[in-house]
Amino acid sequence: MPRPSKRKAAPSAVVDLSATPAPKKSRTKQTNKADRLFDKYANKSIDSIDPAGIELLCSDLRVPHTDIKILMLAWTMRSEKQGYFSKDEWRRGLKCLGVDTLPKLKKAVIGLDKEVMKSGCFEDFYKFAFQYCLMEAKQRSVDIETICELLNIVLGPQFPTQVNLLMEYLKTQSDYRAINLDQWGSFYRFFREVRFSDLKSYDSSQAWPVVLDSFVDWLRERK
Amino acid sequence: MSNQKKRNFQIEAFKHRVVMDPKYADKTWNILEHAIHEIYNHNASGLSFEELYRNAYNMVLHKFGERLYSGLVTTMTAHLKDIANSVETAQGESFLEEINRKWNDHNRALQMIRDILMYMDRTYIPSTHKTPVHELGLNLWRENVIYSSQIRTRLLTILLDFVQRERTGEVIDRGLTRNIIKMLLDLGPSVYAQEFEGPFLRVSAEFYSVESQKFIECCDCGEYLKKAEKRLNEEIDRVNHYLDSRTEKKITNVVEKEMIEDHMLRLINMENSGLVNMLCDDKYEDLGRMYNLFRRVTDGLSKIREVMTSHIRESGKVLVTDPERLKDPVEFVNRLLDEKDKYDKIINLAFNNDKSFQNALNSSFEYFINLNQRSPEYISLFVDDKLRKGLKGVSEDDVEITLDKVMMLFRYLQEKDVFEKYYKQHLAKRLLSGKTVSDDAERSLLVKLKTECGYQFTSKLEGMFMDMKTSEDTMQGFYSSHPELGDGPTLTVQVLTTGSWPTQPSAPCNLPAEVSTLCEKFRSYYLGTHTGRRLSWQTNMGSADIKANFGKGQKHELNVSTYQMCVLMVFNDADRLSYKEIEQATQIPASDLKRCLQSLALVKGRNVLRKEPMSKDVAEDDSFFVNDKFSSKLYKVKIGTIVAQKESEPEKLETRQRVEEDRKPQIEAAIVRIMKSRKCLDHNNLVAEVTKQLQTRFLANPTEVKKRIESLIEREFLERDESDRKFYRYLA
Repeated sequence: MPRPSKRKAAPSAVVDLSATPAPKKSRTKQTNKADRLFDKYANKSIDSIDPAGIELLCSDLRVPHTDIKILMLAWTMRSEKQGYFSKDEWRRGLKCLGVDTLPKLKKAVIGLDKEVMKSGCFEDFYKFAFQYCLMEAKQRSVDIETICELLNIVLGPQFPTQVNLLMEYLKTQSDYRAINLDQWGSFYRFFREVRFSDLKSYDSSQAWPVVLDSFVDWLRERK
Repeated sequence: MSNQKKRNFQIEAFKHRVVMDPKYADKTWNILEHAIHEIYNHNASGLSFEELYRNAYNMVLHKFGERLYSGLVTTMTAHLKDIANSVETAQGESFLEEINRKWNDHNRALQMIRDILMYMDRTYIPSTHKTPVHELGLNLWRENVIYSSQIRTRLLTILLDFVQRERTGEVIDRGLTRNIIKMLLDLGPSVYAQEFEGPFLRVSAEFYSVESQKFIECCDCGEYLKKAEKRLNEEIDRVNHYLDSRTEKKITNVVEKEMIEDHMLRLINMENSGLVNMLCDDKYEDLGRMYNLFRRVTDGLSKIREVMTSHIRESGKVLVTDPERLKDPVEFVNRLLDEKDKYDKIINLAFNNDKSFQNALNSSFEYFINLNQRSPEYISLFVDDKLRKGLKGVSEDDVEITLDKVMMLFRYLQEKDVFEKYYKQHLAKRLLSGKTVSDDAERSLLVKLKTECGYQFTSKLEGMFMDMKTSEDTMQGFYSSHPELGDGPTLTVQVLTTGSWPTQPSAPCNLPAEVSTLCEKFRSYYLGTHTGRRLSWQTNMGSADIKANFGKGQKHELNVSTYQMCVLMVFNDADRLSYKEIEQATQIPASDLKRCLQSLALVKGRNVLRKEPMSKDVAEDDSFFVNDKFSSKLYKVKIGTIVAQKESEPEKLETRQRVEEDRKPQIEAAIVRIMKSRKCLDHNNLVAEVTKQLQTRFLANPTEVKKRIESLIEREFLERDESDRKFYRYLA
C-alpha cells in the first residue's frame, strides 16, 4: 500500500528560550526585524532565500555552509526544500531561536549544535537531515554519495572514526545504491550502541538492517 | 433292656486326692527324648505316634511345656552337632552329598517331631511367643550346621567351585546343587543372599571382567558378541536350573556390565569388524546380535544409533559430492534409492524395526540429500527417465512402488520449489513430445504430489494436462471444419495456457510458406471461437516430420525440430547456402541457429547437411550443402531432440535465479500474513514464523527474510516500533 511519504518529522519544541508570548507591539517589531533580515538575503523574484542568499548568509555568520549548524538552522525552520528558505520558514526558525538580528542569529547559530545535543532533540534533527535530501515527491531513498556527505556533516563531529569506516564501506560495496530512512535511522543507533573495538556485542540475528550486517562482516574481515 | 428297674445312679466325688507323680515330667520327657533319638536314628517305625502325642499333650497340659520345649532344643541341638561333625569329616565330593542327605533326614525328623509335639506347637508356643517347632528346627540347623565354622566357608567355596567348573565346560551335578540352594532358601530370607548369592555375584563379576578382557584382545567384534551372548544364555540357563529365579536379573546385569557395557565403545569402533564394517557388509546376524545385547545396557542403543547416523551422513555426503556419480542423474538417484533400501533392510532384519533408528535414518538422508543443490533437479530427471521409458511394460503395482520411492526422496528435499520448477520443465517436454510412457503413471504421481503438498503445488501441472486434452479437441474441430486441408501437410497444434507452462521467450522465425499459411488458418479458426485471446507461436518448441529425397535416390522421413525444418526447407530452393543466407531466410536467433546447424551437419549418422569447411564448430562464414551421400539404415531418422537433459552451468544459474526471485514474493506474503494477524511481533519470532510457514516449499534464508522485511518497511507495510526497534508493527 503506497502512502505519501511523510516529509516532516513530528514537530517538537526546541530551543524556545522565550516561552512567554511577547506583547503585540514588540512582536510586530520583532517580526519586522526578522523580515528585514530576510529581505537582506532573499531573492525578490521568488520571495525566498535562494542558494546564493544562503551562501551570503553563511559568510556573514562566519559559518561554512557545509557545517552541521546550517543544517540545524534549516531544521529549526522546518525547511522543506534544500537550498531555499521561504519567508514563513525564516520567521519560524528565527522565532524558534528567539532572535531577530544578525548578531543575535550569529550567536545562536554558533551554539546551535550544543543546544540540540543538550535538549535531546538530536534524533529528530537526524531524521530531518535525511528527509531534507529527498528531492522528488515519491523519493524514499538517498543515493550513496549524498549519504556519505550527510554522514560526514551530521555524525562526523560525534563519531569521526566510525563515520569514516562506514563511508569507506558504503563507497566500496555494490549491494546498495541508495539508503532509505529506516537504514539511515539505524546508523545513529549503531554508532551509539556498538563499540567498534569489540564487535562481539553485535548480533546479526537482531533486527539491524542487512546493510549493517554486511558492514560488520566487512569490519571483521578487515581485522 | 427295658427300664423296669429304675436305679438312680449317683456319682460320688473322689474320696481321695489325686497326687501327681513328682517324677512324671522326667519320665514322660525321657520317653519323648528317646523317641527323638530313635527318629534321628531312622528307627521311627517302632514308635507309637499316639502314645508319643499323648505324652507330649499331657506334659503341656500339666504345665510342663517349658520342660518339654527346652528339652527339645537341647536334644535337637545335640543331634545337629553330631550331624555337623559327620559332615565336616566328609571328603571332597561327598561333602555336599552328606549335607544334602543329612538335610533330608533332618526335615523328615522335624516333620515327625512336630507332629508329635503338635499340641505344644498350638498352645504353649503361641502363648509364650516362642519359635514354633518347624522354624526352630530350621534355625537350629542353620546355627549348628551351616554356620559351623568348618562348614560355612567350605560350603560356599565348593558351590562357587562348581559354578566355575561349569563355566569352563565341565559337567556338574545340577540336581545336588539345586537341592543345596533350595536348602539355603528355606533357611531364611537373607541366608541365600549372604551365604551364596552375594559372593556368587562378586566372583562372577571378576570372572567376566577377566574373560571379557581376554576376549576383546583376541576376538573381532562379531566373535566377541557371539561369546557374550553365549555366556549370557548360560547364566540364564544356570539360574533356571539350580538358582533362585530372582538371581537372574542380578547375574545378567553383571554379565551385561562386564562384557558389554565396559567395552561398548571399543566394540563399536573396532577396526575392520566394528559397527561400521557390519553396516557396510550387511552383516544382519551380527548386527541383530549387537542390537539385542546392547539394548540391555543403558545408552547401548543410543551409541549404536549415533555411530550409524554419522556413518550414513558421511557416506551420504561422499555420495552426493562425488563428481563421477553426478554425471548421470538417473544413476545418482538409483544409488540413493539403493542406500535407502539397504538401511531399511538392516533396520528391519537386525534392529527390530526400531522407530528411533528409522528416525535417525530419515534425518541423515534429509541432511545429505540437501547438501547437493542439484538434488531436486536430479530427482526430477530420474522421474522423467522413468516416465519416458523406465516404466515401460512394468506392472501397475510396480509402477506405484517406484513412484512411492520417488515421493519418499521428494519428502527429504528442503527446496521443494526448485523441484517443482524442474518437474514442470521436464513434464512440459514430455507432454509436448508425446513421450510419456503412461498417462496413468503421470496422473498417479500428480495425485501423490497433491496429497503431499496441497492443491497449489499441482494446479498448474494439472492445467498442463488439461491443455493437452483441449488441444486434441481443438485439432479435431479444426480439421472437421476445414475438410479441404486433408491433402496438405498435417498440422498438430498444442495450445498452451501461458501461466501454467514454463515460460521460454521465443523469437518468431520465418516459417516455410506451406506451413505459415496453415498456421494462419488455424489462428483465425481458433480466434474465431475464442475471442479476446492472443496466440503466439513457440517456434523453439515444435517439431516436424518431413519426407526427404536425397541425391542418390535415398528416401527418408526426418523427424526434426521446427527450426531444423525451417533450415531444411530453405534448401528446396537452393543447393548451397551460406550461414548468413540461412540466417536471413529463417530469422532464427544466432545461438539457436548455430546449434541447429550443428545438429544437422556435424552429428554422425544424422548429417543430412554438409558443411564447408569441415571444422568442428559452426562459424559465420561457413557454407552448407545438402548431403547427397547421406545414408541411414532406418527409413525414419530422428534428428530433433527435445529430451530433458541435465542443465548446463549457465542454465542452472538461471533457474536458480528464477527460483530465488519467485521466493521473494512468497516470503513477503508470509510476512504480511503473519504481521496482519499478530499486529506487533519481534524480529526473531517473525523470522521463525515465516520459516515455519514456508517449510513445505523451501528453507527460508534468515538474511533474505530480513531484506524482505526492510523492503516492506520502505513500502510502508510495516514500521519499526519507536521504543524497541526489535519490534515490528503492522500498518493497515
